[in-house]
Amino acid sequence: MARIVGGLGSPHAPSVGAAVDRHEQDTPYWKPLFDGYQPMRAWLERERPDVVVLFSNDHFTSFFLDVIPTFAIGVAAEHEIADEGWGKRPLPPVPGHTDLASHLAQSVVADGFDPAICHRLPLDHGCLTPLSALFSWTPAWPVRVIPILVNVLHFPIPTPARCFKFGAAVRRAVSSYEDDLKVVVLGTGGLSHQLVGERFGHIDPVWDAEFLDRLQDDPQSLAALEHRDFIERGGSESVEVILWLCMRGALSPKVRTVHRNYYHATLTGYGQLILEDLGGAAR
Amino acid sequence: MKESERRFANPCPGTYLLTVSLAQQGYRLSSFCRSLMRPENRAAFRADEVGYMRAQGLDEREIAMVSARDWLAMVRYGVNHFLVFRVAGTFGVGLTGAAAQMRGETPEEFKRTRRVWEER
Repeated sequence: MARIVGGLGSPHAPSVGAAVDRHEQDTPYWKPLFDGYQPMRAWLERERPDVVVLFSNDHFTSFFLDVIPTFAIGVAAEHEIADEGWGKRPLPPVPGHTDLASHLAQSVVADGFDPAICHRLPLDHGCLTPLSALFSWTPAWPVRVIPILVNVLHFPIPTPARCFKFGAAVRRAVSSYEDDLKVVVLGTGGLSHQLVGERFGHIDPVWDAEFLDRLQDDPQSLAALEHRDFIERGGSESVEVILWLCMRGALSPKVRTVHRNYYHATLTGYGQLILEDLGGAAR
Repeated sequence: MKESERRFANPCPGTYLLTVSLAQQGYRLSSFCRSLMRPENRAAFRADEVGYMRAQGLDEREIAMVSARDWLAMVRYGVNHFLVFRVAGTFGVGLTGAAAQMRGETPEEFKRTRRVWEER
């Protein structure tokens, strides 16, 4: 049987991916963040997951206003690197896992969720930034990835409660997959930031710390909040922490934080997290 | 647009969410922004900004927003900021430049509000 061994949290800002491409991990600006990736890379090398279920969002790269899926699952055997307009990042295509993605789609639909099925879903910085910070891709990506993209940009977007429950449905799906696979769930984006309007640049490190505390101990209380609560506290773009609620929903109620880092950068409060799953049934 | 949607789209001061009616109003302008993801389109746009925008079907009000590099006006009109950034990027304006402009500050003033800053 497949099982989820833990959950990770990572930013997905494009500037972080650009820093990887320029080998700037040790510059004064980036070191506080990339030092936070070291324990995550070590943990992944130790756990050696077969599959990462990656919760992220598209940034008007693969989706446009013509079709905005609320939840979308990438089921391809291999995911292309998207060109967001300035050239593709120098990364090889990312291997997918069609069998598990197929099962996942079947299972969550049976469970009351109705994601879009995507046979071609070029990945933008929302997925590539965390993958390129957490894994080496030479000679090959060491893991298969199932991207699950959630609409966080065009309202109405799914509620925090819905995302948390969707994560639980993903857990039930993984737990009912017949092959013996180790799966890690990865929540991306956030934490506090706003990239629009006169309030552009809003960051609230106190709220971010509270969010990370509650994500471990009392995620239900975060899931009970409204979008507006996140927007007021953390800025409009911080509402994408519903992607972290998907991740947390896919873990058992009891988890242990084995790593946590925070970096208050120019435009964003970056959070990094490893939550080990202490077992137990899905909600 | 209903008043309730307008209120929803502006949940706190200086904050703008993209809703269905706004996105529909901004559809053509958004399509124009998206077209600039291709280098050949960026070149055509740079060579003849207004001609390119007319060919994309933009009306005079929309053309004026882009010509004025008024990123905030585009957002308020119904274009998601990630699409606006693709136009700004075509003019060499990055995130911090767009931030300063939307806040009504010079880049230097904006920099002074930041805890850390990456010189590029």
